[in-house]
Amino acid sequence: MIQLSGISKLYGNVIGVNDITVDLPAGAYGLVGPNGSGKTTFINLLIGQLRPTLGKVRVFGDNPWRRRRVLRRMGLCPATDVLYPNVSALDWVRYQVRLHGFSRVESDRLAREALASVSMTDEMHRQMGTYSLGMRQRTKIAQAIAHQPQLLILDEPYNGLDPVGRYQMTELLRTWAVDGRSLLFASHVLHEIEAITSSFLLIHGGRLLASGTASEIEGILADTPQEVTLVGKDVGRLVSRLSDSPWVDAMHLTSNRNELRLALNDPTQLYQRLSAWIDQDELQIDQLQSANGELTSLFESLLRHHRGETR
Amino acid sequence: MNPVLVLDVMRFELARSMTIGRIAIWFALVTFPVTLISILRMKVPIDPIEPIGFAVYFLVPEVVCLLGLLLWATPAIATEIEGQTWIYLAMRQSGRVTVLMGKYLTAVAWSLSAALVAATLCVVIVNAPESLRMWWVMCALATLSCFAHAAIFLLIGVIFHRRTMVMAVVYTLGIEYGLSFVPAVANKITVNYHLRGLLADWMKWDEIRTQAETLYGIELASTHLAALGLYTVTLLCVSIIRLTTAEFPTQQDG
Repeated sequence: MIQLSGISKLYGNVIGVNDITVDLPAGAYGLVGPNGSGKTTFINLLIGQLRPTLGKVRVFGDNPWRRRRVLRRMGLCPATDVLYPNVSALDWVRYQVRLHGFSRVESDRLAREALASVSMTDEMHRQMGTYSLGMRQRTKIAQAIAHQPQLLILDEPYNGLDPVGRYQMTELLRTWAVDGRSLLFASHVLHEIEAITSSFLLIHGGRLLASGTASEIEGILADTPQEVTLVGKDVGRLVSRLSDSPWVDAMHLTSNRNELRLALNDPTQLYQRLSAWIDQDELQIDQLQSANGELTSLFESLLRHHRGETR
Repeated sequence: MNPVLVLDVMRFELARSMTIGRIAIWFALVTFPVTLISILRMKVPIDPIEPIGFAVYFLVPEVVCLLGLLLWATPAIATEIEGQTWIYLAMRQSGRVTVLMGKYLTAVAWSLSAALVAATLCVVIVNAPESLRMWWVMCALATLSCFAHAAIFLLIGVIFHRRTMVMAVVYTLGIEYGLSFVPAVANKITVNYHLRGLLADWMKWDEIRTQAETLYGIELASTHLAALGLYTVTLLCVSIIRLTTAEFPTQQDG
């Protein structure tokens, strides 16, 4: 479905994405990365809004920059929250579908169906300027799916949604993926993506650090030094236990002796021993933070792997 | 490009732009030349017709059309880019070119309707012996002015999507009101030069044409019409090429 080979995009001297090569068959994918990591540039290259400085982009076998007809097979829900304030959702979605070349009658039918699928039927005649953030977000989704694309691309679709809106969005996207249609979903929050798909593309600093399922990424991380942080008033007493361990690469105890940062080449060794040490030495450890739970740590670990800092 | 789709874009844009603010500007554009011509009519005799005839031409096909298009054609694409709504249109298979043409025709429709109403009222107020001739000449010149100037302002908006209005005002003052009145060959590249040539030709103002040859030209009407048509088509083509090959910013990168 998506083939990128050696893709780089430069904005003057600033690099947007850097030498990305990936081949994605049809399916649901999460594009994960911190803010400013290059997710939107990546998406803009896929939808033909940007021309790559180097490399080739193919979506459904076509170059989206040159062959705009491929856009009919894609739907985009961008992150921006700007719509025409004095236009109704029905008029706007119908207009967007019409621009794909559907007849007026067909455009009207598809727009109504799409708005119904995001529970906007009752509100679709109101001007969009009167909508709440959640309603605007659902309208944006409607315009992205109304022409029944094969690939739906969403950029931070949970922005500004309340818990009910998040739940509805998750259900909608799950249904989309379960129905066998493709999805690329960009977010900087890992668990939002995990609720919908287990296949990830991890992007940071314009580089694709890893791709695959959660277990495949865990496999990559297993060979990479990972940072684990222990917090508690007795963490200093662990130093003697850890100093002779071959699976500890580095230790850093903060000046208030309340936080111990460890670089571990095999974190499972620590996890196996830690509870026994706490019990034997009667230690008080309040927190343990690892790459598994925190996106920043995960990316730091992947960056180390990317630089070749493996065991 | 599907012409029916262009008309649908125009219909959508017309409905969207039917705001109190825009309607008020439309009325202001109509009222402004009518008021000035009413005052002039009391002070200036209609024989000879040239002074007041030129005033109608200057106020309607030039000022009303230029002001209307400055407000409505120039920001047509730039507001979508600045407002971050461009991405929705550019994502459509026929989005870029169809939207450009639809917005072009919408800007022409708004400006031309104001110009035609203003021209009609001005001609009625002037009440010259050859009112019918003056009416159709002013309407024809307003039509040509709107199509040609809209293409220019649209191109300015497509090239300079930041500081669009500043660039359009600079162009209007520098080229259409500066260069076009310079008695030199350079004024022949301006739209207003060709409009003035057609005015003198169609109104049969041969004497004024002889006295100010560099301002009104000696070319045939067909030459002026061909020049205006060529400008319009060329500028629209350049806008389309620019729009289909430009990488416009979509949003802050995430």
